[in-house]
Amino acid sequence: MIVDTAETKATLGGRDHERDRIALAAVTYLRFVRTEVKRAWRNPRVLLFMLVLPVILFGAFSSADPGDQLGSLTVAPYIMISMATFGAMNAILGTAGRISLERSLGWNRQLRLTALSGPQYVLGKLGVGFSLAVLPIVGVYIAGDAMRGVHLSAGTYVGSAASILLAMVPIGAFGIWLSYVIRPENMQAVMGGLFSLLALAGGIWVPVENFPDWLADIVKLLPMYWSAQAGRAVLEGGWIGPRGLVTLVVWTAVLGAAAGRAYVHDQLRT
Amino acid sequence: MTTDAYPADGWAAGPENSLVTAASPTALSSAPPPSVSLIGLRKRYGSVRAIDGVDLTITAGEIVALLGPNGAGKSTTIDVMLGLSRPDSGEVRLFGRSPRQACVAGRVGAMLQNGGLLTEITVGRMLESVRNLYPRALTVDEVLARAGVSELIGARTNRLSGGQRQRVRFALALLPDPDLIVLDEPTAAMDVESRRAFWAAMRAWAATGRTVLFATHYLEEADDFADRIVLLRRGRIIADGPTTEVKALVGGRTIRATLRGRNGSAPDAATLAALSRLPGVGRVEHRGESIALTCPDSDTALRALLADFPWVEDIEVAGAGLEDAFVALTTDPTGPTNPADPADPGRSSDPASPASPASQKEVLR
Repeated sequence: MIVDTAETKATLGGRDHERDRIALAAVTYLRFVRTEVKRAWRNPRVLLFMLVLPVILFGAFSSADPGDQLGSLTVAPYIMISMATFGAMNAILGTAGRISLERSLGWNRQLRLTALSGPQYVLGKLGVGFSLAVLPIVGVYIAGDAMRGVHLSAGTYVGSAASILLAMVPIGAFGIWLSYVIRPENMQAVMGGLFSLLALAGGIWVPVENFPDWLADIVKLLPMYWSAQAGRAVLEGGWIGPRGLVTLVVWTAVLGAAAGRAYVHDQLRT
Repeated sequence: MTTDAYPADGWAAGPENSLVTAASPTALSSAPPPSVSLIGLRKRYGSVRAIDGVDLTITAGEIVALLGPNGAGKSTTIDVMLGLSRPDSGEVRLFGRSPRQACVAGRVGAMLQNGGLLTEITVGRMLESVRNLYPRALTVDEVLARAGVSELIGARTNRLSGGQRQRVRFALALLPDPDLIVLDEPTAAMDVESRRAFWAAMRAWAATGRTVLFATHYLEEADDFADRIVLLRRGRIIADGPTTEVKALVGGRTIRATLRGRNGSAPDAATLAALSRLPGVGRVEHRGESIALTCPDSDTALRALLADFPWVEDIEVAGAGLEDAFVALTTDPTGPTNPADPADPGRSSDPASPASPASQKEVLR
């Protein structure tokens, strides 16, 4: 043997090596996401905030007269979607926010010495956030059925959940951006305030139907309203519509670019 | 993977070897690529030159101390070496590859200076989560045993003492079963006992023929453990050689005195050469009639000085701390009679330099 096995492969079979490299990258990414999901799952505070809180809030807010209408939905399914969206937002923003903490620990530098690349780390945190986001959606849907008798078809359940998650993409980019620009010691406070503000803007505390018109107009320019609306639209038998889609796509582009810039800046600085 | 893979009869070997070389001209080199190869590295932070032209080659099996005072550029050099920071110019190769490729292949382990541990997790689970990120890795039990902290597997990371944290980080660095381990001030947070235990574990690991590079500002630590010392000051390598030689250079005492020529003038080149030949003297500097002798053995040097130059005056002998030694080694750049800048080994062999110290040249490679 003149060179070690990996280099022999690189020189004698470049294409095989390239395929191996991609396979290794995919395996590493999936292992990272799996490990991180397990880690979050073992953390009682994460579970409390992400799963228990939305279910309790659903129980509290949906107890109005079941005949009341909010838009074209009755109260229970409307609040069910709101709280599922709230839980998903907590999961995604909370996971992205951990990047800030891990940066302050120097943990992300340690991970850069493994096969996990920098971009894989960031995209991995998004993968973890979106995986965890399934949990509150399912939890609140079960609560909706058990506590308020909200029955939907299987297609509507799956469709609305998928719609909520897709409409969360700009929020995910927002979380990544924040975790690279906010100091870790301020992160807790920023996140706390932000969860409430975003929930308010998404019509999660107070239905947007009850907002004054000027405020409703502002809220409809922001992504969070459409993230919640994406789920409700499926329950109403439709989809989010062109205005919502364009709003979400534009915000994804803007926040994604900001997150990418912040990430690259951080990599060059360290 | 490295030298072990070479058959005793080397090149004359069978046809499959010539096949490999025919297919790949890069495999023609007769030796494996060095563990570390740094070529002309430079990096600035604003107006500060953190690394200012570092060239360094470390071959497999060497144990090298990167010794220097705080701010010498040790951590920056290590960050750049590991691919955590991008150099402004120059090149880094680890085992002939980019740092990133070497990391992906699991050939590099490192204890970073500011690298922390995850919080709210047990040591065992934390190690397992990182273990998953390597294509091949030792088991968690194995690395904890090698680091000598098997009992910590169930401990929560935030309950560890400073010494325990460092040993757990050592276990973390061992996970990929690396061929090169890089340690940035590994014993900074340890008490004497932990320090001893850490180096014992490190020695056991290094005995398997791996390459070790560690940064430290303790001369004793470099002396005890390294077989080669690279001295860094202000981002430059000012000496690089076997531990005993570099230690002699920085670990001794400095004799300062006034030495006039017979006619009352400053010492001439012949006198300076005679001074540098005195037993126990490592290096000679002077400004005007003031001389400074850096001495690995100051007692012998002083006796010889008094015997050969009985008219010498104002004698002071001072122990040289590491920082003093660095200052002595790099001298005052405005000094009129020392045109060879010792901070630049490439120029120190200037034959015109009257003070060109022979012993320093021996040390500088």
